[in-house]
Formats: sequence, C-alpha cells, structure tokens
Amino acid sequence: MNKVIDLKGSILSLTVLKLFSNDIEQTKQALEAKVSQAPDFFVGIPVVLEPEVENLDPTFLALLVELLHQKQMIPIGIRTQDEAIKEQANYAGLAVFTDEVKAKKRSKEKAEKTGVEEQGGLKTAMVINHSVRSGQQVYAKDRDLIVMGSVNPGAEIIADGNVHVYGAIRGKVFAGSQGETTSRIFAQKIDAELVCIAGLYQLSEDILPEYKTGFVEVSLMNEQLNFKLL
Amino acid sequence: MSRVVVVTSGKGGVGKTTTSASFSTGLALKGYKVAVIDFDVGLRNLDLIMGCERRVVYDFVNVVQGEASLQQALIKDKRVPNLYILAASQTRDKDALTLEGVEKVIEDLKEAGFDYIICDSPAGIEKGAQLALYFADEALIVTNPEVSSVRDSDRILGILQAKSKRAERGDEPIVEHLVLTRYNPARVETGEMLSVEDVIDLLNVKLLGAIPESEDVLNASNAGSPVVLDENSAAAQAYNDVVDRFLGEEVEHRFLTVEKKGLFKKLFGK
Repeated sequence: MNKVIDLKGSILSLTVLKLFSNDIEQTKQALEAKVSQAPDFFVGIPVVLEPEVENLDPTFLALLVELLHQKQMIPIGIRTQDEAIKEQANYAGLAVFTDEVKAKKRSKEKAEKTGVEEQGGLKTAMVINHSVRSGQQVYAKDRDLIVMGSVNPGAEIIADGNVHVYGAIRGKVFAGSQGETTSRIFAQKIDAELVCIAGLYQLSEDILPEYKTGFVEVSLMNEQLNFKLL
Repeated sequence: MSRVVVVTSGKGGVGKTTTSASFSTGLALKGYKVAVIDFDVGLRNLDLIMGCERRVVYDFVNVVQGEASLQQALIKDKRVPNLYILAASQTRDKDALTLEGVEKVIEDLKEAGFDYIICDSPAGIEKGAQLALYFADEALIVTNPEVSSVRDSDRILGILQAKSKRAERGDEPIVEHLVLTRYNPARVETGEMLSVEDVIDLLNVKLLGAIPESEDVLNASNAGSPVVLDENSAAAQAYNDVVDRFLGEEVEHRFLTVEKKGLFKKLFGK
C-alpha cells in the first residue's frame, strides 16, 4: 500500500530572531533598518522568535507577527519558557518550541563557543611574550597582536587589527589581514622580509634604509604603505 | 638527579657530533657519569669520533626494539671513566625509533644512575631530531656564524619551545645554551662571518661558548678521539670552558677576538 503521509522528525536550519527589547516601536525600527539593508534576502524566510526579555506587552507578539508578515517573512514559532509569552503565542498562532530543544541547542552553542574563541564583546589584543622564531606563524583573529620580542627571519605574524612589535621585525608581517585599511604596524625596528597592510605590501628591498633603524609606524595612505619614524 | 641534554642545530655539518663527543667527555672528566646517545640512525658518526666504531655490537635501535638490553649496548669509553656511548644503527632508518622506546631507554639510564644523558641529534627537523629533543631538560644549540645556520637554529629553537615534552606539559621550559662553532675572529673582522653579537641578537640565547675554527678538530675526528682531550688545542680549551660554564662556573669568554701575535710569536711561529 502506498503511503499517503509520513510523519518524520527532521532537523531544519531556521532563522532565529532574538528580541532584546520589549518596546514594540524600538523593535520595529531596528527590524526595518535590518531588512532595508538586504530586502530580498528576507523574503519568504521562516523565522522563529526568541524573546530574551520578560514582561512583553500583551499585544507585542501580535504586532510583531503582523510586522514580519508585512516584511514578507513567515513567523512560524517561538522559543520561550515564560508562561505568559506562551499564552500570547497561542493567540498569535505561533508554535511553541519546547525547552528541551532549546537546552540542547544552548549546550551545543556553548561547546562551539569554547571550541573557537570567545565571541562578541571586547576583544583584547593577543600578546606573545617571546620572540617569534623562524617557521612559526602567529595569527590574531579579529584583534590586535602584540609581540614582546622579535619576529625572526622566516617567521610570520598576522593580525586582523594592528600589529605592535617591541623588538625587530625580520620576518613577514601582515596587519589588517581581513582588509581593514586603517590597521597600522608599530615596531622597534623594521627589517622585514615583507610588510603588508590590508593586502598592500612592500618587500624588504623596497623599504628605504632609513626606516630600518628606529621605532617605525607603518600605515596605509592613498593605497600606499607610509613609513614614519617615531 | 639526571639531566637530559640535547645537542641540536637544525642544519647539518655544523659540529653537533663533535660537540656531543667533547661535551660528554668533558663532563665525564669532571667525574660525572655520562651517557651519550647517537640519535642519527642510518648515518651514525658518533662512534667514529669517539673512536669506538669497532666495538659496536648492539646499538640504540636494538635496545629501543627490545632486541638487546641497555647494559649490552652501552659501550664503555676506554680513555675516560664514567663515559658510555650508545651508538646509532647504521642499517636502519629513523622510523625504527619510537617515542615509547626512547622514553624507556632514557628512564632506564636515569635509573642506572647517570648524571647526564647527552642526546646527539640528527640534522633536520623531522622525526629523528624531534625524538632527540623531546625528553630534554637542557639544550645545546650548535650554530656556525653564518646566516643559514643561524636561521636553522632559530627554527629548532621554535620546535624546542613547542614540541618538547616540557612544552607539551607546560613545565619549566628547556634551558637553552648557544655553542658557536667554527668561530674565526679574523674572518668576522673582514665581514665574512657573523659576529657573536649578531648571532646572539638574532637568536636571543645565552652564549655558552665559542669554539674557534681549528684544524685540530678535524684531526681529532679522524683520529677517533674527542678534541677536548687534545689539551694544547684552543678548541679543547674552549670546550673545557663550555663544560665549566654549563656546570655553573663563571668563566670569561675567550677566542672571540683576533689574537695579537707578539714579537716572540712572530719570530718563532706558533
């Protein structure tokens, strides 16, 4: 006999809209600003709401659902533990996702976070307390890099932000490696094999000898590396 | 307490084995019980320089693989008491060594009451060199005063700081010592060689001693006797200084500047 229907569990990837404000006007403005950045992207996408605030106004969810529909998004459910919000969700026609799912997801999120690096918030500079030796590579992702020693020939130091070296740079140095053109390089002495900011680079032979002596700042000016003795 | 000392350099031909031979002999002459292990499996040399190549029956690989006991493989030096050599195998390659096997040998040597276990590393940064440095407490970085040797030493220092047992366990880091070999002050003055200062500036490691370039070293190697035993040689005196400084004595550095020949020397030659 051919099956007419089949119920199966499936894990889908959905967009979660986190709500950090219980003010509907504020939320509305923030949402509109977001959608206006890429209007096409949001058309027809299923959205799950996740309020991170309590004491939602009784009409909050209804108004928000209305707004999402206007923006051509499809709110399908809500993830919450709050009884009052669950009740509102019923009226607004939203499915309520159980805590269990949330807990699982949370722990997974946490694991991922500790696995990579702390995300969000202030990212302080990565500090290397010794010299970087030939063959070693240091990458400061999304942050500045401070090296308390020298960077020896054959070593590479890379930062998405600025680079500070309290010794001599004799290897390769990359600042603003994700394209941040305001990134700068500071070093006690630059005798580098290669100096690069946001993809624009100079080789050792192109660096004027007078910049190889003292404390130097390198920045990007009119798409050119600009050396300055400090 | 036993100390494990690796003699390493990255680059080949800079004088690791010469240094291992003279350093271990020098320590033994001071009364310490010393074992020196040749980790250069497949290209064994230490036994030649120590003059015991005809007395090798069992070697390091035999012990690592359990084919011989440590006592069978340790060769007692004929000139200096308390000095033992564990030769490398010439017929195997470096895959014959395992981390567990090497650890067992080093533990057994410690238990046998050796004060110093000297590991003569092969050149390169591959398995053989990594095994030689893995269990080290201290390291002698052997460097020639020229750029490629200095760069390779820099590389091996990075590996010491990242891939040794001490680094992996987060213990006190390996104590690093610089031994500058084939140093020729005259050629430094003419700019043909890097100076001591240049090398230290780059490597940032404390100088244990500079060994002057000398034909005595080659002669000693050919004769199968560590150069440190040739008392009249400047290289021997330099190696003795190295041993003294390693043991904590304050000894002023010698052989770093061109020796001014006095009238007497000019007239009568050497």
